[in-house]
Amino acid sequence: MTTFWIGFAALGGTLMVIAIARFIRSLVPQSGMRDVPMTALETLGWVGMAVSGFVAAGLGVLVAVVGVTDFQEKDSVRFIFWLMLIAGIGVWAAAWIALRRRGSEVVADERDRVILARSFSVESMVVLLSLVTWTVVLTEAFWDDGTVPLAYLQLLFWTTLIGGAMGRSLGIVLGYRREIDTDA
Amino acid sequence: MPKARIRNQIRRLRFDHGEMTQQQLADLVGCTRQTIIVLEKERYVPSLSLAFEIARVFQCNIEDVFTYANEPERDGSS
Repeated sequence: MTTFWIGFAALGGTLMVIAIARFIRSLVPQSGMRDVPMTALETLGWVGMAVSGFVAAGLGVLVAVVGVTDFQEKDSVRFIFWLMLIAGIGVWAAAWIALRRRGSEVVADERDRVILARSFSVESMVVLLSLVTWTVVLTEAFWDDGTVPLAYLQLLFWTTLIGGAMGRSLGIVLGYRREIDTDA
Repeated sequence: MPKARIRNQIRRLRFDHGEMTQQQLADLVGCTRQTIIVLEKERYVPSLSLAFEIARVFQCNIEDVFTYANEPERDGSS
């Protein structure tokens, strides 16, 4: 039985490595797309990834330093998190305003709207993955207790929200690295 | 089944119309310069309305700008 679980974990790990390798490869633009300058939406996508990455890393550091319970109960810790969140949203909003003021150039045309629409699929995948992971982890961790502390539910909410934002931005960035064939 | 590709003559038509720049064409048809770039690279298939707008700018029929070509199958069978 142990051998089965070791093999299962090895298979899962191998699939994860392959998935991550394919993801990293997908960040490289397809040939013919490499020398296309960035649109306003693509720039915003990169800003979104940086901002959500910053907030996610900050949340991770806070929870690692003070613990999950203190994250919920200490006002000072929550205040730091709120500051990071508001700062991140502010940076994203400032980027959006700056990009809209670039001149008479169209900010988002039909191609941008197609990419934006398709980015929802990446966002959905990230949100689903986050919810599945949290469900499995919390169920296994608190099965004997019969109840999940509120602090973990808050963490579930924030990580899923931040992950969704990052997934959306990632979907936008990936969309510009692919040709769009509406006949396919 | 052969894969259909939409080919276009946008780059040639731009130069034939007073060496119009990509930005000028983008402004005339209401899209970004990046969309014109990927159109010329045939990496993006435009919507019908955008295709008609481009043809209108060049004062020609849409078939003079865009062609619908079936690529032959790679194994040689047809």
